[in-house]
Amino acid sequence: MRRVRPAFLPLLLAAGACTERLTAPGVCPNFCPADSLHVEDTVLADVIVRDSAFSGYLQGFEGEALPVADLPGIVDSRAIFVMNKIEMRVQPGTDTATVPITGDSSWLRLRIVRRDTNTTNLRLTLYRLPITIDSATTFDSVAADFSGAPIDSVNIDSLLADSLITDTALTNPRGGPYRADSAGHLLQFSGADSILVLTFVLDTVQAPFVEADSGRLAFGVRVSADTLASIALGANDVDDSDARIRRFYQYQKMIDSTTDSTVHAFADRETTFDGFVFNPPTPALDSGSVDTMLVAGGVPAVRSLVRVAIPAILRDTADVVRATLVLVPVAPVQGAPGDSFIVIARPVVTDLGPKSPLVSNEAFWGRKTVQIGSADTLRIEVTEMIRSWALDTTAATAFVLGLIPEAATYAQIRFYSSRASAFRPALHVTYVRRFPFGTAPPAAPGPPP
Amino acid sequence: MTRASRTAVVLLALAAPAALAAPAAARAQDSQFGIRGLGTPGRWESVRARATGGAFAPFDAFSPLLEAALADVRRASAGVTLGTSWRSVDVGGVDASLRSSRFPALVIVGPVSRRIVVAGGFATYLDKSFSVTTRDTVDLRGKPEPVTDEITSDGAIADLRLAVAARLHPHLAVGVALHGLTGSTRVAAIRRFDDSATYRNSTALDELAYQGLGGSASALLDLTADLRLAGWIRSDTKLITDIRGRTAAEQDLPLSFGGGVRWRAGSEALIAGAVAWRLWGGKSPNAYDTFGWSLGAEVGSANSPVRLGLRRGQLPFGPGGRAPTEVGVAFGLGRQFSGGRGRLDFGIERLERKGGGLTERAWTFLLGLTVRP
Repeated sequence: MRRVRPAFLPLLLAAGACTERLTAPGVCPNFCPADSLHVEDTVLADVIVRDSAFSGYLQGFEGEALPVADLPGIVDSRAIFVMNKIEMRVQPGTDTATVPITGDSSWLRLRIVRRDTNTTNLRLTLYRLPITIDSATTFDSVAADFSGAPIDSVNIDSLLADSLITDTALTNPRGGPYRADSAGHLLQFSGADSILVLTFVLDTVQAPFVEADSGRLAFGVRVSADTLASIALGANDVDDSDARIRRFYQYQKMIDSTTDSTVHAFADRETTFDGFVFNPPTPALDSGSVDTMLVAGGVPAVRSLVRVAIPAILRDTADVVRATLVLVPVAPVQGAPGDSFIVIARPVVTDLGPKSPLVSNEAFWGRKTVQIGSADTLRIEVTEMIRSWALDTTAATAFVLGLIPEAATYAQIRFYSSRASAFRPALHVTYVRRFPFGTAPPAAPGPPP
Repeated sequence: MTRASRTAVVLLALAAPAALAAPAAARAQDSQFGIRGLGTPGRWESVRARATGGAFAPFDAFSPLLEAALADVRRASAGVTLGTSWRSVDVGGVDASLRSSRFPALVIVGPVSRRIVVAGGFATYLDKSFSVTTRDTVDLRGKPEPVTDEITSDGAIADLRLAVAARLHPHLAVGVALHGLTGSTRVAAIRRFDDSATYRNSTALDELAYQGLGGSASALLDLTADLRLAGWIRSDTKLITDIRGRTAAEQDLPLSFGGGVRWRAGSEALIAGAVAWRLWGGKSPNAYDTFGWSLGAEVGSANSPVRLGLRRGQLPFGPGGRAPTEVGVAFGLGRQFSGGRGRLDFGIERLERKGGGLTERAWTFLLGLTVRP
C-alpha cells in the first residue's frame, strides 16, 4: 500500500487558515444583532460655566496686518510706521575717512494685503509723521499730522486701469511687470496672488535725508473711496509683508589725488515699528461687560475664557460624533460691509485663567467666519475638542475664544455669557450611545413579510 | 502505570495549554441564525462522524460527544479537526458570499489502566463570530444623514472537556465528563457617516469573556456483536458574560440528550443512526428546543473507508417563532498510514438552512488527523 506521508499536512493546515470573509449585509431586525447603534442629538444648555472676558493679549503693533479704513460713523483707522535709519556718511574706499551722502529720491513700497474689489476710487494718501511715533501713539496724538497736507496720494483704481508694462528693460529693475501712472506710482501684483504692491516714488522734499534723524522717516496712510474704504496693509509681524523703503543717494569718491567721481548707490530699509490708530477706540471692558458678555477681538485684543462642564454621559456611555458651540451675539459687529473675520475656539493645555497656555494642534480648534454686520447665532464646530475631552478625563475642559486676525482689526464681537440665562452659550452635541455589548438579546420581531 | 498511560498523561499535559488558548481560535461553522441568539452551536463531531452526517458521533472516540466511546481506545491517541466553509446567504433578495476557516475540535485520549481511559480536549460550544453591515438614514439636526453601521464579533466559546470512560462489562461502557466553558469575543460597533466632514465615525471596541460549567454522562451497550446502542445526557449551567470585569449577562444553557444505534452489516460496512435533543427553549429569547437526526454509513476496509451521511435538524436561534431547519449531506474518505498509527480523514458537507425568510447554503471542506504514537 502506498504510504501517505504526513509531511504535506502543514500545507493543508495553511490552506485551512486562509483569509476569512465574515461580513454580510445585515437584514434587520431578524438577522442583525439584537441591539443597534443609536444616535442622539441634544443641546446641552448648562454646560458652559465660569466664562469671562480678558483684555490685553495683543496690541495693534503686534498684529499681522494694519487695517486702514474710513467708514463714517463706524471707524476711521490709519496705518503708521517708522522706517529704519540709514548711514548718512559712507567710507568711499579703504580710507577710514567718511564722506557725507546726498539724497536723491526714495521708493516707498507698501503691500495691500486685503481690499474689497467692489470698492471704487480707492485712494491711498501718504503723510509724514514724526519719527517718535511708537506703540503708545494714539489716534488723537497724530491727528494733527494727518490733518496737514499729504506728501502723496494715489488712486488704486486708476492704476489698475493703466496698461501693464512688460518691457523687460523696464520691468527687471522693478522685479516684474507693473502698472504706472504719470506721477510715478507703480503697482504690481505679488506673485500669483491678489496682494498689491504699491510703490511711491518720493523726492527729497517728500522723503528728506535728515542727518539729525539718521535718515529715519515715519509715515501714515489713510484711505478713501466712494464706498467701502477699507484695506489692510502688510505688517512687520509677517515676513516680507511690511513697508520697505529704498533710499537712493550719491557721494563723492576720489579716484586719485586730484580727481573725484560721483558714486550712485541705494539702501533698502524695513520698518522698525508699525501699527495703526483708530477712532473710536475699542470700548473698555468695564465690569458690567465682563460680567454679562463674552468678547473677542478689538485692539488691544480681547479673549474670553470659557469652561465646559462635560457631562458624565459623554465620557461614560457615548461617543461624540459632532459637537457645535452655540453663541448668541449681543449685536451685529460693526465694520466695513463685506469684511469678515474668524472667531476661533482654542482649548487650553491647562486652566491657568486668562494666561492659560493654548493647544497648538489646529485639529482641536474650532473656527467660524463671521461677516461684518451679521447678527446670526454663531455655531462653531468643536467636535475634535469635545471628543478629546471625553477621552481624557484629566484634560482641562476649557477653551479660549479669540479672533483672527487678532489685533489686526478694530472689529470686536460680543456674545452673551452664561450669566444671561435666556441667551447663554450652549453645546449642541450629537453622540452615539455606547453599544450594549454582551447583554442578553431581546426577543426578535416576527418573520419578515 | 503502563507506558501507554504515561503517554496519555503526557499528551494531556501537552494539550492543556493548547486547550486554554483555544477559545479565540476554536470556532465552528458560522450561521446568520446565531446572530440574534447566543451564537451558533458547534458540532461535537470528528471528520469521520461529520462525513456520516453525525450519525457516527456517539460511537467515535474522537468526536467530543460521548465519553463512553473512549473506553475502546487502547493506545494514547490524538485527533484534530479542521474545516473551511464557503457560505452563501440569501435573505429578502440580498445575497452575500462568506468564507471562514475553523479549528473546531481536538481530542487527546489514552488509557490509564486496563479498564479506564481518560481524555481531554476542546470543542466549539458556541461560535460567536459574525460581521454585519447595515445602511440606514437617520435624521440629524433636521437633515437626513446616510450612515453605515458595522457590528462585528470575533470569537467563540470553547468547551474544555475532561472525560473518563470505563468498560464495566464486555457489553457495557460508561463515561462521564466535566465541561468548562470559556472563551472570549472581540466586538466592535462602528458607525460611519457618509458626511464624514461633518460627523466623525464612531467606533466602540470591547472584549467579552464567557464562562460556564457543565457535566455529561454516557453509556454504550452492545446488544449483540454487531449491534451497539449509545445514550448520552449533558447539562450545562449558566453562561456568564463578563465585560471589563463586570458581569453583563447570565444566560441559562440547555439540557441535551440523545442516542444512537450502530449496526455492523458485514466485515466492511457500518451503518449508524443518531438522534439528539437540546432544550434551548426559554434559555434566551428567540430560542427553541431542537431535535436532530442523522443517518450514515461507512463502507470499505479500515485502511481506506468511504463514508456518507444525511442529517436533518433544527437550529436553536432564529426569528419567526419557529426553529430554523437544517438539512445536510456529507461524503468522506479515510486513509490510514504508518501501519495504522495515523489516519487522515477528509470530508465534504453540503448544508442548507432555512428560517425566517433566510436561506443559507454552505459547502464545508473538512480535514481530520488522528495519530497514535
